[in-house]
Amino acid sequence: MKNKLILWLLVVLLLVVVAIMAKDLFVSQNKPQENVYEYDLKELRKVDSSKISHKEVKQIKIQANELHGIAVDGKDQIYVTTDENILVLDSDGKQINSLKMKGNARCLTVAENGNILVGLGNRVDIRKPDGSFRNSFIVAGEKAFITSIAIDGDNVYVADAGQKIVHHYNIEGEKINEIGGKNPEAGIKGFVIPSPYFDLLMGRQGELWVVNPGRHAFEAYNSSGVQISSWERTSMSLDGFSGCCNPSNAAMLSDGSFVTAEKGLERVKIHLPSGDFKSVVAAPELFEIGTVGIDLAVDSKDRILVLDPVQKMIRIFEAK
Amino acid sequence: MKKDRRDFLNTCFRFVAGAGIVGVAGVLAVKSQKGDFLWQLDPAKCTQCGRCATSCVVTPSAVKCIHVYDMCGYCDLCGGYFRPNVKNLSTGAENQLCPTGAIKRSYVEDPFFKYEIIDELCIGCGKCVKGCGAFGNGSLQLQVSHDLCVNCNQCAIARDCPSDAFSRVPIEQAYKFAGFKTNKKI
Repeated sequence: MKNKLILWLLVVLLLVVVAIMAKDLFVSQNKPQENVYEYDLKELRKVDSSKISHKEVKQIKIQANELHGIAVDGKDQIYVTTDENILVLDSDGKQINSLKMKGNARCLTVAENGNILVGLGNRVDIRKPDGSFRNSFIVAGEKAFITSIAIDGDNVYVADAGQKIVHHYNIEGEKINEIGGKNPEAGIKGFVIPSPYFDLLMGRQGELWVVNPGRHAFEAYNSSGVQISSWERTSMSLDGFSGCCNPSNAAMLSDGSFVTAEKGLERVKIHLPSGDFKSVVAAPELFEIGTVGIDLAVDSKDRILVLDPVQKMIRIFEAK
Repeated sequence: MKKDRRDFLNTCFRFVAGAGIVGVAGVLAVKSQKGDFLWQLDPAKCTQCGRCATSCVVTPSAVKCIHVYDMCGYCDLCGGYFRPNVKNLSTGAENQLCPTGAIKRSYVEDPFFKYEIIDELCIGCGKCVKGCGAFGNGSLQLQVSHDLCVNCNQCAIARDCPSDAFSRVPIEQAYKFAGFKTNKKI
């Protein structure tokens, strides 16, 4: 009797051992492991709601593989460059026109007279207001890579991230000057551009504002190439810019404040003309992590148009 | 001489078996000429989960951060060197992102700084790699250092890697870092 009991106990024990072994063999244990070396940007992504000055009022979805640049003309018509064409939309987002491009249009601007200037690699194409071809010119240099264009009357300013310089042309493509080259005697430190984000825009008084992303700076030049003003803010907090190339894109409000877009910490902010931080337009939570190339435009009503190239849409923000 | 069916099948079987043996021998010969295979990780797939630091059988890990200088922006505010939200861009330990202080920062010229990895201190956690990728050009990358790797038959990190970034690579292409000089021997 006693032997029988021991035998049964051994059988039960054996079954338990087999069950444990079977569980180990067939049940996978994919417990998520905590990363003790986590690089945590959560705190920096949080924005105090009292610092957000704008609200998103409209989203315009764009059907395209890639979105690169956005601009607004005097009638508040919206122009968007894609990998194949330029889309012209009215201020409500309804498509008016589509201009086929030969090449990948990376950036564009619209002149007061309605001419459309487009940057394609090392080439500037100029279209008439009806979309027909006007003229074209090449930016010389093996490394030339156009990332932004601004126009003031007959003066065309071309940001060349490859050669780290701003080229000054007339509308016919004749070169007038180079702006921003390193010149210690004139106090010009030169542009620092570690990655191809190099934006420029015209100020309210005809001055040229150029982003110096490696220095987290804005520099103003007159048409002769003399630096007349600058400001820089380096910080990972809201009051400045961080990383190797920020702000990546910029625009200007009617009061002379700067609207800036950043990569790394994807956010859109407003800085006063002095450079001091004013407010947040779009917090990082609105963008997908890793979004780069958020282009900006401002229309006549000071609405801020944000081109979101990952979610493939134009996001329109108005002051609260 | 006339063959019967059994002889014919026997001959066929021998021929197929012989061809198989020759084929296998040929493949093995080609492979042996090509040399050995080593473990390496693909930076394009790596998510910097931290397991390279904790799963490797070697202590500290045979996975190290390498710096592809061609891609570096030599930034003052380097996302791979400084902690997020750092107030002061100095080399103080409280400002550094690396848990072991394995990155050396040195001034080059205004506004450029050079960042060098001290291999002996690097534990392959990938924290700097994530910071560099978030804010910079992604010039800091993780790679298996073959002078430290013991080339286990079943790599413990490869087994734990959630992004399947590890694979066997031919010894001639021992490194897979991204950048302008891919597959450069280091």
